[in-house]
Amino acid sequence: MKLIKAIVRPNKVDDVRDALGRINLPGMTVTEVRGHGKQKGHTAIYRGKEYDVSLLPKMEIEVVVPDHLVDEAVAAIITAARTGEIGDGRVFVIPVEQSYRIRTGERSEM
Amino acid sequence: MATSLSAVESARQSLSACAARAEGGGAALRRFSESVDEFLQRLFDAAPPAAAASLVVALGGYGRRQLCLHSDLDVLLLFDGQIGEAEEKRVRAILHPMWDARFSVGHQIRQIDDFARLEIDNPEFLLALLDARPVAGDAALLDRIAGCVRSPAAHARILEALKGLTDERHATFNDTFYQLEPDVKDAPGALRDVWAARAIAALTDPALLDRGAADRARLDEAEEFLLRLRSILHARHKRNNNVLDHETQEHAARLMGYSGAPRQQVERLMGDYFRHARSVSRSLDTVRRTAPLPVAANLVQSRDGIRFVDVDHARAHPESWLSVFQAALDANSAVTEGTLAWIEQRIDRHAPEDFFPAAADRDALLAFLKPRAGLYARLSEMHDCGLLGRMFPEFQAIFCRVVRDFYHKYTVDEHTLLTIRNLERLATRAVRGRERFSALLDDLLHPELLVLSLLFHDVGKWCDEDHVDESVRMAREMMQRLKLDDEAVALVEFLIRHHTRMSLIAFRRDTEDPEIVRQLADLVGIEERLKMLCLLTLVDIEAVSRETLTPWREELLWRLYVDTYNRLTLGYADERIAHEESGLRALVAGRPADLTDAEITRFAEGLPRRYLQLFPAGEIYRHVQLSRDMRPDDVHVDLKRKGSLWELTVATLDKPALFSNICGALSSFGMDITRGQAMTNPKGLVLDVFQFSDQERFFELNPTGKDQFLSALAAAISGRIDVAERLRAREASVLYRRRAGVTAPPPVIHADNQSSRRYTILDLVADNALGLLHRVSGAISRHGCNVDLVLISTEGQKAIDVFHITRARAKLTDAAIADVTADIHRTLEG
Repeated sequence: MKLIKAIVRPNKVDDVRDALGRINLPGMTVTEVRGHGKQKGHTAIYRGKEYDVSLLPKMEIEVVVPDHLVDEAVAAIITAARTGEIGDGRVFVIPVEQSYRIRTGERSEM
Repeated sequence: MATSLSAVESARQSLSACAARAEGGGAALRRFSESVDEFLQRLFDAAPPAAAASLVVALGGYGRRQLCLHSDLDVLLLFDGQIGEAEEKRVRAILHPMWDARFSVGHQIRQIDDFARLEIDNPEFLLALLDARPVAGDAALLDRIAGCVRSPAAHARILEALKGLTDERHATFNDTFYQLEPDVKDAPGALRDVWAARAIAALTDPALLDRGAADRARLDEAEEFLLRLRSILHARHKRNNNVLDHETQEHAARLMGYSGAPRQQVERLMGDYFRHARSVSRSLDTVRRTAPLPVAANLVQSRDGIRFVDVDHARAHPESWLSVFQAALDANSAVTEGTLAWIEQRIDRHAPEDFFPAAADRDALLAFLKPRAGLYARLSEMHDCGLLGRMFPEFQAIFCRVVRDFYHKYTVDEHTLLTIRNLERLATRAVRGRERFSALLDDLLHPELLVLSLLFHDVGKWCDEDHVDESVRMAREMMQRLKLDDEAVALVEFLIRHHTRMSLIAFRRDTEDPEIVRQLADLVGIEERLKMLCLLTLVDIEAVSRETLTPWREELLWRLYVDTYNRLTLGYADERIAHEESGLRALVAGRPADLTDAEITRFAEGLPRRYLQLFPAGEIYRHVQLSRDMRPDDVHVDLKRKGSLWELTVATLDKPALFSNICGALSSFGMDITRGQAMTNPKGLVLDVFQFSDQERFFELNPTGKDQFLSALAAAISGRIDVAERLRAREASVLYRRRAGVTAPPPVIHADNQSSRRYTILDLVADNALGLLHRVSGAISRHGCNVDLVLISTEGQKAIDVFHITRARAKLTDAAIADVTADIHRTLEG
């Protein structure tokens, strides 16, 4: 069981959701985040004055998947979120030790 | 006439006899006043006729029918027309016998036209008019002038004057009614205070005399007591003397039947006097303290809010109902519950048109909709009492409308009103961290149209079909009723039609893609629409629920705004109107008969494409006409009023320092340039449009002001006068000198050689000052540069100007840019 954490462009969330849905991974958590990686943002000019836009708005998508679906899920995310430009984002895969359902307290297996 | 005189004398003797019995109170004075009425009626009837209708009006104490034995007889002789020789004869025939009858006459002779403008600097006269009543002649004349005295301005002035006069009078008695020898007319707690309490109540709220310490019955009792005393004093002194001195106190106490030894009689009399004076003083204090304040026509403000004074008038004039809410906004108050209930009971009797019968009423509605503190609360009151839904049946259609989706947490009507509350919070800087959006709102020329758009953006949700199309359709009907001009209609329609567009792009599209930004820039066309759409989007999202507008979304929206703004202001120059442009074809197709296709094409082709979005077709045709038959030295100018501003349009062929000289000419007349654009087509035709405010009211105060200005402008453009010289004199004026110790923030100049293929762009933000544009463009011209395009805007005290410049038809080198910007800095800071 793995946690896939993807940082993507805000406008790509719907595409990623659709792509994961197609491989039967309907559940996901989405968070509005700001940050930068290689794409360090830039300085914008507004009315003659420069202002810093180095922290760029991104969306963080979290989805927990069974081990055998990890590669497929990562591929689906990358395909859906890629534009080919700097700033497309990152995908992280993190091991998950256990998972519990809050409603029932049951330990769930994926 | 002898009979008349003897009748007056007989009435006088009768009043004296009453006074001798201490019975010269209200009833006796009324009888005497009525005898004098009859005397004047006889004089009026016997006086030689005159062409103008006339009326004798009783004023002051005589108007109240409280004429004492030796009181002044205050009358107004009113004529409906010019006072000529015949009228003067008539006046003499009335006045002379009054003097013969030993009256001390206080007379005024007026034509009815004198009251067209109220004499508010003569409060005593206004006060006297409060008790005016017709005695002889055409009583309708008095009704015609009564309207002047009933205006809120007159009421406010009368109240202010009355309070001032009362304070002055009390001060002469050391502000105490415990006078050992009181003046029964003027002392605190005496007759004038009784009349003052009654006048304040009559002007503001008659019920004031029935509440709290004010007591109508005690006031009546005190007045009767004081009038009896006054009659005794007049009879005793045989003149208009109202002081109850020690000697007269014994006499009065005896006449009034107080028991005991003379000393005890006096003590009892004075005990009663002070008891009455205390009642009067307390009543007056209460009335003064609790009297509502006249705030507008037929409106007063009390502790619980704004309400109508004369509800009968309000009932007959539903177009005045909005004014209650406007007054509440102005006074930062509420509308009283009673008034809201009163409106609610009557609202069903009226159609929407009843509320806006005249252009002034429609203008008042738009003025009301300007975003500011309290607008949401007032609109909510209007909605609750049914007025908003009656004025706008389209809005009533979403009353408590529930639309189920994942996001919206409120009914559609409340969501709509919350958008306006959010806008209001931007206007009042109530939300920290949103100053950048507040600045956009400050910058809008017509923020009320944004509010109108918000009010209608979701009305289409009454049905389950596509709400945007339906909202636009319903808004059109409303705008037809309001008779909005074409420009305003187009703007409101645009905002409603595209109200979800910017959020869709900001949150669902790749805003780093220049093509996405270009599409939005093409859609909005000009900065004003972009700002309005951005604000509409922000407040609309925020009104969905408390959680919807996150700082993250705010940032995305802001970045989209900035990129689109930059595209509009820095990137517009390279996009020119082409021969086959659809906008140009539409212009040609709709041309008026006096313009040819070729004229329109020749004029517009090659201008920046934004020109077509900046001006409505009617204006563009006017520009084409203005640019006709242009010879090298010609300067064709149009100057007209546009709302609170003036608009100057100049068409001419390009010449050195042209832009600088036009700006200089405007500034040399004290005009403050707030917005504008200058553009040049490839044939060298220059079109400059400036909007400016005439801060010194030069045009208003000088009948030939426009001619003087236009002649100076032509001379400045042709170089016949030195604009710089004219400006220097004005800059030295005390009106424009910067206050000692106040320094302007340094100007910011950003040079951009990337955004345009053809031009170097100078983006200037500086403290707005007289002659700023002239000095900056002058500095640019001094370096041999041509000012091809200019965008002028202001944001509060900041001037924000974007210059597109070239030198020898090419962009400037980096070194040249450094020289020009350094020179501009020196010019502005020196």
